[in-house]
Amino acid sequence: MCRVRARKAGEVVGQLRWVTAATLVFGLCASLGANAQLNLVGYWDPIFHEDVEERIPGPSIGDYLGLPISDAARWRAESWDASLLSLPEHQCKPHPSTYGFRGVGTLRMWEERDRVSQELVKIHTHIQWQAQHREIWMDGRAHPPEYAQHTWQGFSTGHFEGDVLVVYTTHLKAGWMRRNGLPLSDRATMTDRFYRHGDVLTHVSIVEDPVYLTEPLVKTNGFLLSQNGTMTPYPCETVIEIVRPPGYVPHYLPGKNPFLTEFATQHHLPVEATRGGAETALPEFMEKLK
Amino acid sequence: MFRCCAPGFALFVAAAVCAQPPARARPEPPKSARESAAIDLTGQWVSIVNEDWRWRMVTPPKGDYTSVQPLNAAGRAVADKWEPSEDGSCRAYGAAGLMRMPTRLRIDWEGDNVLIVRTDAGEQVRHLQFNPKIEGEPSLQGHSVASWQHTVPPPGPPRGAPPPGGSLKVVTNRLVAGWLRKNGVPYSADTTLTEYYDRFAAPNGDEWLVVTTIVEDPQYLTGRFITSSHFRREKDRSKWNPKPCRPL
Repeated sequence: MCRVRARKAGEVVGQLRWVTAATLVFGLCASLGANAQLNLVGYWDPIFHEDVEERIPGPSIGDYLGLPISDAARWRAESWDASLLSLPEHQCKPHPSTYGFRGVGTLRMWEERDRVSQELVKIHTHIQWQAQHREIWMDGRAHPPEYAQHTWQGFSTGHFEGDVLVVYTTHLKAGWMRRNGLPLSDRATMTDRFYRHGDVLTHVSIVEDPVYLTEPLVKTNGFLLSQNGTMTPYPCETVIEIVRPPGYVPHYLPGKNPFLTEFATQHHLPVEATRGGAETALPEFMEKLK
Repeated sequence: MFRCCAPGFALFVAAAVCAQPPARARPEPPKSARESAAIDLTGQWVSIVNEDWRWRMVTPPKGDYTSVQPLNAAGRAVADKWEPSEDGSCRAYGAAGLMRMPTRLRIDWEGDNVLIVRTDAGEQVRHLQFNPKIEGEPSLQGHSVASWQHTVPPPGPPRGAPPPGGSLKVVTNRLVAGWLRKNGVPYSADTTLTEYYDRFAAPNGDEWLVVTTIVEDPQYLTGRFITSSHFRREKDRSKWNPKPCRPL
């Protein structure tokens, strides 16, 4: 009886060895077959060699040059009053992920891997200004249903196409495409692509919004790898900056914003151009400027 | 004995098979740049100017070098001497400034080892040479050496065809002095221009080209001047609108 049991136990151990061996071989082959993945880990400093006026001090009221905006976006922007940002509930807003990569602040990227399998589970991005922390799920999971919570950074999933990290983001809060009131709706989605060329990272964002864009908004900008990167915290507390009646929201009623043509006047541009639209981004639009 | 060692032996054999490169065929002749292209860049592309609009779509005022942060004092001094009467000069269409121009590009192969990039704005022609032989005299478009940056293959011994995708890298020198912007922000003849061309498809099916441009100029820049410009592919070639610049 004991011998029989011992023999059976030996067979089980033998079978386990085969299973272990097969698993190891499978794992080895699988790892060899997987595409090499771009290493984006590190600290990246934004390069401000384009659009610096828009990205650091901020854009002018009424500057929509080159943006494929809808009439609805234009109307919303025209009612925007910069004083809105002085309200306590607006003071500590981070940029949405659709804008944050063009903003100020060092970008840190790091991986989160499963402790046992070492499979890549997530890539984190953190931008210093207002502590914009984004999680990019790399484990193949699906996006949640539409009714799930919308956040500033949204829900992001990613994969590698060759050496390029491609990320798809949904579940965004209603945000902005430019810091002068040009809005994005909570139906906006973004596909972004990360291209690394040595110590230069080119970030491409493709934002789609059925409400406020007439075609996808494609933007590109760069980061430089920082050899001695640091990340400082960004604590933010709200204060009463201006005493106002309860419930007051700074705004302009339609047709009442007096500042909309200042930008065009200051830079000797036709007002028609500054009002944006997809056609203002095309070379042939220069003919209309003469 | 066999029972205890069999799994280990199987592991060894299977791993060896797994890591084995494919059977070697007769050595093939080296492929041309066209045959080994990492990406297809041919076609007509239009620049979409939604960045730096005020410095690209119109000629900025004299002395406006906003965003050209690495410009040094010598560069600013040269830019400050520019006169509006110089607007339209071909100096604004040199290799280091050309991709920032609102333009259409036509990219085609000339033979198997040269990519030709034509612009309708300024009617310029660049030769991106994969197998350069003669450097030639310095010129507005300079001497461009191209190479494919293929997707890095997975670790381990080579197995089958390399993974698809990658970028085009172009290094250009032997330039004559030109402008980074239409209003005379200068780069010198000592400039080295490094570019990376990447192509992708947007979710709506549009094809895009992104050119990352790195300008290094020991004379007028304190460091690298880095921009990225994007172009959308056009199936309809009817909007090609050649406009010459004023020769140097």
